Amino acid sequence: MGFLNPLLLVGAAAVAVPIIVHLLNRRKFQRVVWGAMRFIKASVDQNQRRMKIEDLILLALRCLILILLALALSRPAMKSSTTDIFGQTKVTGVLLLDNSFSMGVSDGVETRFDKARKAAEQAIDALPAGSATAVLLASDIAQGLIPEPTYDLNLARKAIREAKLSDRASDLAPAIQKAIENLKGRSALRKEIYLVTDGQATGWRQLGDIQKSLEQTKTEIKSHILLVGSKEDRNLGVSGLSVAGGLTPVNRPIRFEVQVTNFGKEEAKNVRVTLAVGSEPSGDEIIVPLLRPGETVGVSLFGKLRTEGFHPVTARIPDDRLLADNKRTVVCRAIREARVLLVDGEPGTEPRDSETFILGHALVPVPALDRESYFIKTTTVTAIELAATRLDDFDAIVLANVADFSETTVKSLEQYLKRGGGLMVFPGAKVNAGFYNDILFARHAMLPAALGAPEGNAEQEEKYATLQTRNYEHPVTALWNNPGAGTLASARFFRTFKLEPAPENQKQVVADAGPARVVLRYASGAPAVMERAWGLGRVFLFSSTADTAWNDLPVRPAFLALVQRVLGSLVQRQDESLNVPVGQEFTRQVSSDLVGRDAQVSGPSQSAATRELRRVELINGVPTLRFAATDSGGAYEATVNDPPAVIRFAAQPDSRESDLTELAVEDKEKLKTSAHVYDWSPGVSLRELVEKERVGTEFWLPIALLVLALAAIETWLAQWFSRAK
Amino acid sequence: MDKETIDSLLDPLSVQRAEALGLQARYVVEGYMAGEHKSPYRGFAIEFAQHREYAPGDDTRHIDWKVQARTDRYFIKQYEQETNYVSNILLDGSESMQYGSGRLTKFQYGKALAACLSYLILHQRDAAAVGIFDQTMRDYAPRSNNRATIHTVMQRLAAFQPTGQTNIAGVLHDIARVVRRKGIIIVISDLFDDEEKVLEGIQHLRFAGHEVVLFHTLDPDEFEFPFKGLVEFEGMENIPKILTRPQEIRKSYLREFDAFRTRLREGCEKNHVHYVTVNTAQPLHEMLSGYLAFRLKTTTR
Repeated sequence: MGFLNPLLLVGAAAVAVPIIVHLLNRRKFQRVVWGAMRFIKASVDQNQRRMKIEDLILLALRCLILILLALALSRPAMKSSTTDIFGQTKVTGVLLLDNSFSMGVSDGVETRFDKARKAAEQAIDALPAGSATAVLLASDIAQGLIPEPTYDLNLARKAIREAKLSDRASDLAPAIQKAIENLKGRSALRKEIYLVTDGQATGWRQLGDIQKSLEQTKTEIKSHILLVGSKEDRNLGVSGLSVAGGLTPVNRPIRFEVQVTNFGKEEAKNVRVTLAVGSEPSGDEIIVPLLRPGETVGVSLFGKLRTEGFHPVTARIPDDRLLADNKRTVVCRAIREARVLLVDGEPGTEPRDSETFILGHALVPVPALDRESYFIKTTTVTAIELAATRLDDFDAIVLANVADFSETTVKSLEQYLKRGGGLMVFPGAKVNAGFYNDILFARHAMLPAALGAPEGNAEQEEKYATLQTRNYEHPVTALWNNPGAGTLASARFFRTFKLEPAPENQKQVVADAGPARVVLRYASGAPAVMERAWGLGRVFLFSSTADTAWNDLPVRPAFLALVQRVLGSLVQRQDESLNVPVGQEFTRQVSSDLVGRDAQVSGPSQSAATRELRRVELINGVPTLRFAATDSGGAYEATVNDPPAVIRFAAQPDSRESDLTELAVEDKEKLKTSAHVYDWSPGVSLRELVEKERVGTEFWLPIALLVLALAAIETWLAQWFSRAK
Repeated sequence: MDKETIDSLLDPLSVQRAEALGLQARYVVEGYMAGEHKSPYRGFAIEFAQHREYAPGDDTRHIDWKVQARTDRYFIKQYEQETNYVSNILLDGSESMQYGSGRLTKFQYGKALAACLSYLILHQRDAAAVGIFDQTMRDYAPRSNNRATIHTVMQRLAAFQPTGQTNIAGVLHDIARVVRRKGIIIVISDLFDDEEKVLEGIQHLRFAGHEVVLFHTLDPDEFEFPFKGLVEFEGMENIPKILTRPQEIRKSYLREFDAFRTRLREGCEKNHVHYVTVNTAQPLHEMLSGYLAFRLKTTTR
């Protein structure tokens, strides 16, 4: 037996009141000087015993009433009882409805989410009268439709019916924890959590923590897990889509890398993969002849962006039972041109001797006649001419074997990077390592690494270092994870600078400096290329020359792709933010004339009527547009009317969510030790299942009724006793 | 010093009505015991003494019609007792007589009754003695048939303050021993004493040949016991206090009280004593004239 409001038991002390009143009343009486005492004495003697008994009965009744009242208010309850004699005690509950994108799996008639909503409504119908429930949507976060328990169960039902499926991944731990926190500490006899989910294994990736939380609160909170998913052995999904080339110029074929994964248990044959740009009906396509279970295949498809600006590009495969992962959209910004300043530290006497000769051709890999129309425009200056060059006229700057430069130029470079410019640094024999290390690295934290001692001998060709052959982690080099993309490993490095990466705390010294990242390693594991963000810009540091003085990378086929991708990473750095994971906030620096303007934002498949407004604000002095409601995968469009501007971006679902593998049987059994797990289908009566598990009886009602009865008896007895006798 | 004036003790209306009715002796005055001799007058033995010429206002029941037939003149008979009885009026002056819920206490009412009776008796040229008693006789105005005695009686009545406990039986026994000449003994009391002993005293008086009239004087509260709530009854005459809820013992009290009065009444009836219940809420003139009319009816044939 326990008490839901134990503090109110203190009210039992009120039993002293009738006793005190009884005692005090004996002091308040009328005095009469009386002659016929013998008759009073005789009467009192006859009735004294009876009167005392009557007094005691009334006093006892009054005390009992007060004690019982205090008891009723303290809400005594017995936690276990085989029958609910007085009817079911109301429940305070939290209902978690899984709306991750795997709930979109359809059986041909209805989706898992449709079933989940039915099961959720059944759970609400199974609640006893007077119960309250909160309703949360569970994916990788918990979203409160009705954050606090409400007694209005019709409102809860409405919220469930109107709930929307999202493209978010599932990770049920946060939602379960939130539900537990919601119920903990509430003074309710019965507390219950209902989790309606499809039983997808990825949602239970923190099963250990979930089980621990449920186990710890098992005595206080009963958890019911309703599994609505049916087995699905087949699912193909577009698990990746990215721009392969780095740069996205207008009207040039752009290579897109599409990854298709077979998440099912059966082979898939002749999978047609298509690519469409914007609202164009069809573009490039390819047939993947075979996809084995668990296999991921990368294919390259080409598309053209016809105009400058933002373009959604969508890769598709044929529909299956889970529609959400059969397409994936990215947004690209088409640029008309990319202007690159090549600072040649060793121009040489002949053009082909210059440090930047091969690099220039790698950046503009077209015949001389076509150079003018090519979208990459290069300008070459000497190190001396650098000081007089307007850096803002260029989208990227390459320092190739430049010894050093003035502090003024360093400052100009700093401003340039802060405003979003890109810097590519190739060392060489001419570089003043001290300048690079002391000024550019130590003082300004511009470089991602310091130049250590040079290693190797460029005069010989027998000893050399090679680049890594696999596990390319950086987006710039991820292309080479696909064997079909060629190899970087064939390049030979005879002499290199050892790159000593910047420490993590260097950001505290210079706030604009981002963390240093390795782009490419040598086979030995030492960094070969590193980069860091700086302000709104980015800096790439190579460890060897841009020409063939120290290595033969420039003459390898992969060099062109590498420098183009690095250039793409520099020039279109901001465009990386155009594609965010589902659920993550989209943030973009915009033109300053948009500050204070409202942008109308519409999501995938959203009508004009449901657009949301967001204001362009200054964040840290930078005009910024932000949008957080990216629960759906696909392309979004933000439109400003005056001045007219259109920005597009895309949200990418987590491809892990396409894996529909169910929770393992042993994991399900583990869960059953701390929660009630039901396999729900439309024919199942949830009420019966749940009521069987519900136990506990509150006694406040019968006690309150007893108090009323005793009060009536006391009133009648007081009248009866005080009648003339 | 007494607070009441002599005039206030004599209620004019009571006196006026009483005078018209007179206070007749029921039994033979001297030498005759009730019940020993039968007389033509049932329950009432009198001796003819003389005639007196009829005067307006005389009771026409006493006209001697034989004389009228012979003489054609109207004469009334005068009887022995009309000219020759002594009344002893005994007023209970114990503390319990001090109780009064209304305008008058029992003692004040008793005083007025005693005064009225004294006046009536003296006015009839009979002798009256007035005594006030509690445990013993406290004040006694000896018998006199002088009308001026009424002033002495009034003064004694007015001056007396009840304070003591009561011993009615003892006083009655004393009177029976002391008063030789048969007469009327009028007792005005609440009789809150052992009623068996009181009846013994009354019996003693009856054996001594006296006529006894008992005015049992009680307050309306003593009849009704109307108290409510929690009441502490403080006893007069040194009886301990009792704290009780009167409503809850009322029936029981009334039962006891009525039984007490019944015992007294039955005892009086057995001894041929007039038992008159006096409620001090009833105006004196009503009560007294009612009794005297009853008395006249029962003593005149």
